[in-house]
Amino acid sequence: MTLTLPGTGPMPKRRARATRRFSLDTTLGRAALQALAVVAFFSLWEIGVRMGWISAFLVGSPSGIFADGFKMIASGELLADTWFTLFEAILGFVIGTIVGSLLGLALWYSVFVARLVEPFIVAINSVPKIALAPIVVLWFGTGLVSKVALSVSLTAIVALIAAYQAAKDADVDLQSLLISMGADKHQVFFKAVAPSTLPSIIATFRINIGFGLVGAVVGEFISSQRGLGHLIYTASSLYDLNTVWVGLFTLMIMGFALYYVIDLIERTSLPWKQASTTHQVQV
Amino acid sequence: MQPAPVQLSVRGVQKSFHGKAGEVRVLDDLSFEIFDRDFVSIIGPSGCGKTTIFNIIAGLVEADTGALHFHGAEVESLRGRVGYMMQKDLLFPWRTVLGNVLLGLETRGVDRVEAEGKAREYLKNFGLAGFENAYPRTLSGGMRQRVALIRTLIMDPDILLLDEPFSALDYQTRLYLEGVLKEAVETYHKTVILVTHDIDEAVALSKRVVVLSGRPARVKVVHDIDIATTSPIAARSDSRFSGYFHTLCAELDIQTERVA
Repeated sequence: MTLTLPGTGPMPKRRARATRRFSLDTTLGRAALQALAVVAFFSLWEIGVRMGWISAFLVGSPSGIFADGFKMIASGELLADTWFTLFEAILGFVIGTIVGSLLGLALWYSVFVARLVEPFIVAINSVPKIALAPIVVLWFGTGLVSKVALSVSLTAIVALIAAYQAAKDADVDLQSLLISMGADKHQVFFKAVAPSTLPSIIATFRINIGFGLVGAVVGEFISSQRGLGHLIYTASSLYDLNTVWVGLFTLMIMGFALYYVIDLIERTSLPWKQASTTHQVQV
Repeated sequence: MQPAPVQLSVRGVQKSFHGKAGEVRVLDDLSFEIFDRDFVSIIGPSGCGKTTIFNIIAGLVEADTGALHFHGAEVESLRGRVGYMMQKDLLFPWRTVLGNVLLGLETRGVDRVEAEGKAREYLKNFGLAGFENAYPRTLSGGMRQRVALIRTLIMDPDILLLDEPFSALDYQTRLYLEGVLKEAVETYHKTVILVTHDIDEAVALSKRVVVLSGRPARVKVVHDIDIATTSPIAARSDSRFSGYFHTLCAELDIQTERVA
């Protein structure tokens, strides 16, 4: 028997509801589920190989990958390859995005030139840039330059099209307002057009950082003495699957890290934009 | 009985646009005059080309025929000398309140320090001190339109072109901003041309109302509004207010007497 004071009746009930069960839809809950999925995947893989259900020769094994990975980290080989590929990808991304965006924006200045070159842009865009890889190696050699060139060819066209489209779509009323104030074409460009294209240009970063990496790795596949692409290519030709996986997982981690860097740039570079990604309509 | 000299005269302006359905004549031999420190409202059926008149005066669109005379001298347009305000506040989202107010002065190449001092003073006078570094998206509609008004006034334009500047706001905010506008116009001795389809607003604010016909637009009639108060709210309780209101409704062929 307990003494119940008036007004305290519903309290325990409410508290019970709040702690009734552990919700999985929290940061911690989701992380736990994700970790569980990763552990389960690798465990099944390892068990499958140990039991002889799948061939270690064709798919490698997690234990072998870890052993190889540690060896390569210890020798410094992995880090050197990673830096090389990362450097190529970032350099290609930066050059491609800057050059592409500037060209795209410049097209705003002349409708005539823009209409003139539009079919050529479409034509260049329709070529799978990867198909250029052999020629690029032929022209720029087997070193750093050819990989950067390939990355640039992939990223520049994306940035160009996005920047040009955004410049075309820039709010006409804002431009009219400036013109009524007596602004000239350069002022309209720098005060109204260019700033309004920034969100679109920054949105291409996300796609282009991936393309930068593709250019670097494919360039290394074709011909190279260094880099993760080279590592993967040579290891696979020797049927050294564990080393191939080490290269692939390193690329994955690299892409992951770059994605979050871009995400950070996106969120901090446009303080005037409303953060719209945090809230979603519940259906 | 207008002692003030003519500031702007629009003479015989015609304008056609080429659309999918062929040529559409929007303005047909349009002529009217604006006096110094005038406050003229232009009303007319929707789609009759009121905004086109402004675009021609502001130099955004060229008239097919006709001329603009400013203080007697023929001019191409008043580009750079007008303060254009539209229904949308058109604040630049990436600029802060201060940055938006500075826009026109920057365009003109005014010294940065001087411009900023002037901008802060205007913001203070309009009760926006403390919001200098806020981005437009954080402001209410009324505040945004007030920033747009400051941006317009700070350039000291010869004529304010107001294209339904308050029509997107709720009634209370509109009444308040009408008062702010009227006061600012008195303080800074500005000439105003206001395009509106709000007859009530036209009567409460203006010295004269130009009524346009439907497309193609011509001047149907010009009414002098003889209400001696400067406050738009007081004007609404003036004994002659409803008389003007009904006259203008009749001019626009709006049925006010018969109720179906």
